[in-house]
Amino acid sequence: MDTTYAITLCEGTSCMQQGMRHLSAVLDEQLEKHGLKDRVKINISGCLGMCHKGPIMVVNPGYTLYGGLKEADVVQIVEEHLIKGRPIARLVIEEDHLFNRFFRIFGDVNFFGKQMRIALRNCGIIDPENIDNYLALRGYEALAKALTDMTPQGVIDELKTSGLRGRGGAGFPTGLKWQFTADQDNDEKYVICNADEGDPGAFMDRSAIEGDPHTVLEGMIIGGYAIGATQGIIYIRAEYPLAIERLEKAIDQAREHGLLGDNILDTDFCFDLEIRLGAGAFVCGEETALIQSIEGGRGMPRPRPPYPSVSGLFGKPTLINNVETWANIPVVIVDGGEWFSSIGTEKSKGTKVFALAGKVVNTGLIEVPMGTTLREIIYDIGGGIPNGKSFKAIQTGGPSGGCLPAEYLDTPVDYESLAEAGSIMGSGGMIVIDEDSCMVDIAKFFLEFTQSESCGKCTPCREGTKRMFEILTRITEGKGCEGDIEKLERLGDMIQKSSLCGLGQSAPNPVLSTIKNFREEYEEHIRDHICRAKVCTSLIAYKVNDACVGCGACKRACPVHAISGRTKQKHTIDQTQCVRCGICFTTCKFNAIDKI
Amino acid sequence: MANALDVIRKKRAEAVGRIISKGYLSNKRVYVGMATCEMAAGSKEVMKVFRDAVTQGGLTDVYLSQKGCAGRCNLEPTVEVVEAGKLPVRYGKIDAQKAQEIVDKHLKHGQVINEWVID
Repeated sequence: MDTTYAITLCEGTSCMQQGMRHLSAVLDEQLEKHGLKDRVKINISGCLGMCHKGPIMVVNPGYTLYGGLKEADVVQIVEEHLIKGRPIARLVIEEDHLFNRFFRIFGDVNFFGKQMRIALRNCGIIDPENIDNYLALRGYEALAKALTDMTPQGVIDELKTSGLRGRGGAGFPTGLKWQFTADQDNDEKYVICNADEGDPGAFMDRSAIEGDPHTVLEGMIIGGYAIGATQGIIYIRAEYPLAIERLEKAIDQAREHGLLGDNILDTDFCFDLEIRLGAGAFVCGEETALIQSIEGGRGMPRPRPPYPSVSGLFGKPTLINNVETWANIPVVIVDGGEWFSSIGTEKSKGTKVFALAGKVVNTGLIEVPMGTTLREIIYDIGGGIPNGKSFKAIQTGGPSGGCLPAEYLDTPVDYESLAEAGSIMGSGGMIVIDEDSCMVDIAKFFLEFTQSESCGKCTPCREGTKRMFEILTRITEGKGCEGDIEKLERLGDMIQKSSLCGLGQSAPNPVLSTIKNFREEYEEHIRDHICRAKVCTSLIAYKVNDACVGCGACKRACPVHAISGRTKQKHTIDQTQCVRCGICFTTCKFNAIDKI
Repeated sequence: MANALDVIRKKRAEAVGRIISKGYLSNKRVYVGMATCEMAAGSKEVMKVFRDAVTQGGLTDVYLSQKGCAGRCNLEPTVEVVEAGKLPVRYGKIDAQKAQEIVDKHLKHGQVINEWVID
């Protein structure tokens, strides 16, 4: 045997129940026996979504998908396939799910092993600027299937069966939303894709569109068919020039192939798409503000009801979904709602895309089955915390979400569990925070963002976030006073209860969740003037220790000339002059400067 | 009259035909990550090296394509080499100079440059 193999074992709940652990031991034993251990790499994956055919094993290269395995089968796979290079036909599963392509190529890397890519199934695999690549991977087959074999109501029923929920953050059941819009009796209806991704540190929608624009188009065309709309609009922020360029190309190519425009795929169905650019206001991600913005008005939310499904764009029934939701639609149609609902947890089906960022080894864009724990995401996929630091918290849901400390690491990722823990799913931002970060400072960062993005319509949001920001600023400057924490809690509670839209209702979340989980850090800042992470510059000082050799490097580097001392003698820092920029600390080669 | 499913099947067959006619069945396929993030990390220069190698550098039996983001933000730009019958090799943090080395060593002589491989 010359080839190196990578075997992926499915450790989804169902495969585990069907004896995967035992098979894994048998495999191990066999590899040992034949001396193949260093030539076969074993990976574990989360549920591969073929539970009825479990236990599942994938052998790469070649992507041979084995199912229904028994102990003797594993022995045979090792002897026949691995040693003699002859795959065993009777054990191979022939099912061709859309997402399988991803595992065909990436299933052998640990970073991808726990992932399952449905929305991002083609991202990083195909050339996004060439429709042939998408067509070759069963692209637009879902649309054709809907147009040929399904009534509009049939499409909606399939979505209801799938249990798919809105991926923009709120998690509203997609099938219901489509039903409401379809039920409206109106000749003119609209379909909108919300690609106004604004969370700091989030790039799920951008990557999805840049990597595979056609899946979004296909989802939207199916949406148009299901609800009876002929016009769709993609609202995308102007800051994403490449995504816009690729969408434009994709729309042109789809038109050339008769997939957009009149009589799609030689049927009676007509539908077309256009792109509208957003100017980057965060609040325009809120659906009613987004609609106002498309209409040419100022991007401000309005009270609901009426919901857009009843009265949306230009007062017409409008179906508005997020990029990731749209990207899931073709898979639900081709592979079926029942299959889709076999992935995930009881109330949250399918997968979720996250932008994993912050203090984690493998930052990146990931898609995991619902129910994956935060620990698996951070340590198995993310590779843990770099530089030997310890985990402090994870911030989910962007500026609308909360920070969860270590005791919540085993929380499964789904809409309900995250909400119970005190955070939200949000659109998919995930920022890992280590011991070097100050929680008050983090809360201040997010609040500063929402505060400046508040549209100003509701006083509690406009003024309240400003006051909260002022209080946080003074706490980080060591000027906090007793009662500040309670003031923050009261203001936060009030803003949540009295704001019109999701921006205001969620703006206090980062502050409230850090107070709940890291109250002692707030108290230390206020009472003891200590920032334990040594981040808040007003609360730290730099001092020279005895390791100083008097080289003078810090003295030359100091921008305010606060350091004095003779050559080859210990230097000192004048605390009244020091601006705590930290340049001396990073300049010193002898670790002679302490941050205290 | 053909129904929509028949139409799309025909389109798929034609699409596959066009992809193959562009050399997809070459012994080696090279994919360069070209999303905004990859480009910011320098993937355009990397792409140019491979393109020049294919158009002027005498590199044959190689299918070159761009791709979207595979999610490895900290290792961009990424380059993937898929060789018939072998495990795909993914390189991370590739610049123009490294790309040239991949052309010279891996693509021309089959030597995988292990130190840049993502695992």
